Amino acid sequence: MNAPMTAAASTNSRDESSAAIQEGGSDEALLIAVGNSQDTAAFNQLFNRFSKKIFALGMKLTRNEQLANDLVQEAMLTVWQKAPLYDLDRGTAQSWIFTLTRNRCFDIMRKMKRQPTTVSADDIWPQEGEVDFNLSHAEQGSMEVEIANIESYYEQLPDAQRIVIEQIYIYDQTHEEAAATLDIPLGTLKSRLRLGMGKLRQMIGTEEDE
Amino acid sequence: MNSEATFHPNEELLEGYVQGSLSAGMNVVISAHVELCEDCQQRSQEMEATASQHWMQAEEEQEPAISADVAAIIRSITSQPQVRELPERASAVEEIHMLDHSVRLPRVLAKVASDGLVWKKLANGINQASVTLDDKTQCDFLYMKPGSQVPVHKHQGNEITLVLDGSFSDESGMYRQSDFVVRTPDHTHQPVSEEGCLCFAVLDSPLTFTSGLARLLNPLLRYRFRRATSIGV
Repeated sequence: MNAPMTAAASTNSRDESSAAIQEGGSDEALLIAVGNSQDTAAFNQLFNRFSKKIFALGMKLTRNEQLANDLVQEAMLTVWQKAPLYDLDRGTAQSWIFTLTRNRCFDIMRKMKRQPTTVSADDIWPQEGEVDFNLSHAEQGSMEVEIANIESYYEQLPDAQRIVIEQIYIYDQTHEEAAATLDIPLGTLKSRLRLGMGKLRQMIGTEEDE
Repeated sequence: MNSEATFHPNEELLEGYVQGSLSAGMNVVISAHVELCEDCQQRSQEMEATASQHWMQAEEEQEPAISADVAAIIRSITSQPQVRELPERASAVEEIHMLDHSVRLPRVLAKVASDGLVWKKLANGINQASVTLDDKTQCDFLYMKPGSQVPVHKHQGNEITLVLDGSFSDESGMYRQSDFVVRTPDHTHQPVSEEGCLCFAVLDSPLTFTSGLARLLNPLLRYRFRRATSIGV
């Protein structure tokens, strides 16, 4: 991860991002371009890289060629739709696409076999881009604390989280703008913001307990 | 909610869950355990990473036969709107009310229970609410009253029991909240619960009772199992 350390330009223009996505771009860079700037050239490349893989996984799980073909389109549609939710901190692009393919496959098979749809893949496996279950518990504690203290806590945050909070609360950017500036997926931005704010609250809470 | 589990799914089961190769019933009971168990969250994330690496490294034997031209497919996909926020989950039943307290369910089981559970009294202080998730397994919420005992039985297939509240024990040990207990066909066992116990159990073939009057239940159980698993046939 090489998020720029300064908040230089206010936005990465949409035309620039395609240039960064030449043939050799990493899967992650392609996915970020798709999520942050609806980059169709980047999506094209992802389609070329993953369609065969998705088909093979579909064949392995369903042993049905028609379903495996359907799965390619369904899974790639989900890649497009959910690209903004991809979170760098939770794994590689390939692992994200793998789990999303597995999930779509589960739903397609259930539909085909007309099995009860009480549970879907998103109930069984935590959704792509969803926060960890145990995070929310840490976010307890009241907010009555001196500004000066906040600054010292703030400096203790990991860089990645501090930079995100800076973009949102100091430069007053929207989530989308900040994600584009830092060149990270919107999903990653949100999870770092949540983690960082959670840690701040926790530090404040601990102080009060003492 | 996060009491530490002592009994976990083995490598093979967790691997199957990660790969998506198990029945819905098995996936559900493993998912519920994973939500309750940080160790298994960690293990399954690592397995996902490894599985996706193998997936990328494997040689494909067959090309997908995409009928329409790829450019048209891509155009139609990229004309769809993207998702910027995860939709709020529709609220499901989250708790099961017991006599003197209520039990918070793991998310996937809350969803399973959201259609409504119909509880039936079995013998010996056992209550059962069956749910149908697929055509390969029989799934039940089981409530054992304090001091109750399941008649001695063995399984033709595997029985997995996830403890949601309270505890039970059998010849091989004591099982508490979050424990994932696997019984294979060679086990004959007789679970008892001192303090009462709420479980979710998944069977991949019917139970057989091996002692006394309970044997009379066998034909009935087999009939129920066939009914429970007869959708789509």
